[in-house]
Amino acid sequence: MNRRLIKAVLHRTALCAVIWLVLTRADPGGLLPGAAVVVVAVWLSLRLLPARHPLALWRLVLHLPRFLAGSITGGLDVARRALSRDMGLRPGWITLRADLPPGGRVALGAEVSLMPGTLAAGSRSDGQLLVHVLDTEAGFDRMLDREAQALARIAELEPTANAGERR
Amino acid sequence: MWLDLASFALTALGLFFFVAGTAGLLRFPDTFSRLHALTKADNLGLGCVALGVALQAGHWTDVLKLVLIWALALLAAGTVAQLVARAALAEPRARKGEGERP
Repeated sequence: MNRRLIKAVLHRTALCAVIWLVLTRADPGGLLPGAAVVVVAVWLSLRLLPARHPLALWRLVLHLPRFLAGSITGGLDVARRALSRDMGLRPGWITLRADLPPGGRVALGAEVSLMPGTLAAGSRSDGQLLVHVLDTEAGFDRMLDREAQALARIAELEPTANAGERR
Repeated sequence: MWLDLASFALTALGLFFFVAGTAGLLRFPDTFSRLHALTKADNLGLGCVALGVALQAGHWTDVLKLVLIWALALLAAGTVAQLVARAALAEPRARKGEGERP
């Protein structure tokens, strides 16, 4: 077994075990069937989604506060616009070069969609992520570069992502 | 007592964000801007409601269950927003009332 597989098995076992404990309210009588279910679930997850890119979980945890702060600012910004008389929308598009594996690009797109003022709309044929911006003058796109690099580091890739040009 | 008040305040705040998100869904001019309103405001709204309910939890696993629900909703919101936006790009009807295309 290589290091990547061991790491994936450990991560997924921990995740499934926590979910089982949460769903059964950590009932001692559920521990034995839980152990069997976790083993089957991890095996199945490795069949469906093979361990390709190991994740640096501590980096993911370190990234959480910024993600939460971004979600809050994003929600506040959109709520303010939705309820104000002049919504101040100046929609536009930008592209984001993200040299991530396909799964990573979807994850980046999901994260970008929850950050203030940006929304991913799939990627173009050249692999660039297409991003809709709610207000092209509010500087929402400035943080995209950093998000892409943070995700690349969580996926333990060399960060080469680069924010694309304004369109 | 204070815990109950905090629960009331947080769930009320959550509902406010859901209302704001719905207002955005109705008022924003095009499909893409509407998706912004839905994903971001509802995500924050659900977070506030979950936090308010978590204060009433009787068991520590109930708190984690709420975290799990919120995380799943986040994942779904982020994924679905991308899918709808991608589909809207290919759908001519969504182009009404919207500016330049990429």
